[in-house]
Amino acid sequence: MWTISSGLFLGWSLGANDSANVFGTGVATGIVKYRTAIVLTSIFVMLGALLEGAKCIDTLTDLYRLIPLEAFICALAAALTMTGLTFLAVPASTSQAVVGAIIGAGVLSGSAHFSSLYKIVACWVFTPVSALVLGYLCHRGLGFIVEHTIRNITHRNLFNSLGILAAGCYGAYCLGSNNVANVTGMYVGAGLVSPLAAAFIGGASISLGVLTYSKKVMMTVGKGIVPLDPFSALTAVLAQAGTLHLFTQIGVPVSSSQAIVGAVVGVGLVADAQTISMRMLLRICIGWLATPTAAGFLAFVPLWIISFL
Amino acid sequence: MKIAEFMTTRIEYIDADKSVYDAVEILVDRRKRSVVVRNAPGKDDYGIVTARDVVFKVLAKGLNPKDVKLSEIASGPLICMSPDTEFDEIALIMEKNKIARVYVCEKGEILGLVSLLDLMSAELIMRARGENVS
Amino acid sequence: MFLEKLFSHGKKEREVIHDISRHIELLSAACKTFRHGLEKHDRNLMQEVATLERYGDAVRREVISHIYEGAFLPYLRTDLCGFVEIVDQVFEMLKDIATLFLRSPLPEKIERQCCMVALLNQRVSEMLLLTFKAMSNGEDIREKTLAVRIYEKKVDDIKYDLLESLQDVPVDNFWKGRMLADFVSGLTRISDIIEDATDALQIINVMTR
Repeated sequence: MWTISSGLFLGWSLGANDSANVFGTGVATGIVKYRTAIVLTSIFVMLGALLEGAKCIDTLTDLYRLIPLEAFICALAAALTMTGLTFLAVPASTSQAVVGAIIGAGVLSGSAHFSSLYKIVACWVFTPVSALVLGYLCHRGLGFIVEHTIRNITHRNLFNSLGILAAGCYGAYCLGSNNVANVTGMYVGAGLVSPLAAAFIGGASISLGVLTYSKKVMMTVGKGIVPLDPFSALTAVLAQAGTLHLFTQIGVPVSSSQAIVGAVVGVGLVADAQTISMRMLLRICIGWLATPTAAGFLAFVPLWIISFL
Repeated sequence: MKIAEFMTTRIEYIDADKSVYDAVEILVDRRKRSVVVRNAPGKDDYGIVTARDVVFKVLAKGLNPKDVKLSEIASGPLICMSPDTEFDEIALIMEKNKIARVYVCEKGEILGLVSLLDLMSAELIMRARGENVS
Repeated sequence: MFLEKLFSHGKKEREVIHDISRHIELLSAACKTFRHGLEKHDRNLMQEVATLERYGDAVRREVISHIYEGAFLPYLRTDLCGFVEIVDQVFEMLKDIATLFLRSPLPEKIERQCCMVALLNQRVSEMLLLTFKAMSNGEDIREKTLAVRIYEKKVDDIKYDLLESLQDVPVDNFWKGRMLADFVSGLTRISDIIEDATDALQIINVMTR
């Protein structure tokens, strides 16, 4: 069971990083207290992992069935890739790192199923795109409804407060359901744990990351990403959560960071605002290439060395 | 809303025996659209000269404004209203008589004037207050 | 905090809105009292203005403490407090000129114009209240802000006439002249500050849409 430790580390860092995508704006702008945010996030991440986490776990196990050692190395490779790219300020996706690492292990053994990979890569590309569309529609549609139904300043304020809380909870649920596969999915394929146990362990490690180490990222990412007014923050998180939930139904773990970026751009388009620079876009594209490549390399090399021992 | 609440209080006066040029100086320097002409000193007998009168009755005819006396071009008498008159009534009077201003008078004394701009402003204020506007 | 928000149904926010309305109502009452005091040369009414200013101060402190106890989202709080502070400036100005009036009688030559400005100040403060109520109900405030600007422009017109008339008013000494000048300056400045308050409301209105 020691092989699960790298997965727990991966889950912990995912929780510490990605919780900012859910409640980052709320906490950084003072709408939601940090303590409230982390408690709600951990509860709903667990719920999402337990109720719908299995859907994405199956996709990863289909890609390549790992042995326990491979699972350990892959999780470690993914975690190291995430750490390195975060250090270089390249938006890194845990999903892409994990898939890249699994493919790296699969390439070494010669039995990876590349047909599944095409579906996964297509979903990665469409994540920010669908989040953009959903963000635009959400902001426009909900904006129209609110404008014509909630006019009073007090009611509007209440709607924004509760809306951000609700959107955050939904976002946390979708984060858990979509990303728990990244953390412990590979151990299911290795036969170490059942899907339910994997969902529980993965959800718990993500929640632990949220509870213990998310503050710094929440404050910087929350202030850095986003739209300034509460309603835009609400619709961006809603769009991001919706996107993750959609891809959970398809069964592919995707990046919540790239989803929130796409959602913010979509929301910004409603007001014709320039919310993303070409530089940021370039960084995201580099991330798409660099993340799975680096993780694959980091998984391939140690396994190749071990194969000679 | 009563007209006394929103009238222009600054009125420029000039004697009838002065030249049109003197009136023009007042219109330009004080940025006014009209000047009240005192037809007879010490009496409540007034006329009015506007930029329109100066242009159409003097300048357009090629006359020298320094040679024309105000008594020759002043219109009168002034249309005077009580300070308690409502703005809605003024609107109808101005529209009916095709005039751009009325004077607010009490016991023979001119207290102020209400121009089209004052009328427009007052109507907008009444709209903002939610008062019935004709 | 989460459960409190869920079950309070915006009670704190409603209290703040009610308090701010009360603050502006007090301002209108103070402007009305000042105007009547000026027209009737009533010293008691002028002294009443200072009392109303003190009540206004108390309400302002309540508003700010309610806001920072958690009413409204943080992004609105600074602007709401800013608005209340601007209204308080009007109270201060009114109290100052009421005090000046008590110390130095008004020359007859400028009395009528000053009374006219006082009336306009009362009307513009009433318009401010209507504007705030409309804004808090989510109504369009464009017509009301225009009305405030119209009033302010009217006061400006009278101000230039007042300043001209003042030049012909004899004064016994520098300090009496200074007090008279401060009185006229303060009286005509009130509508300017109320216009600033309306602009602050417009900003809050845009932020909440």
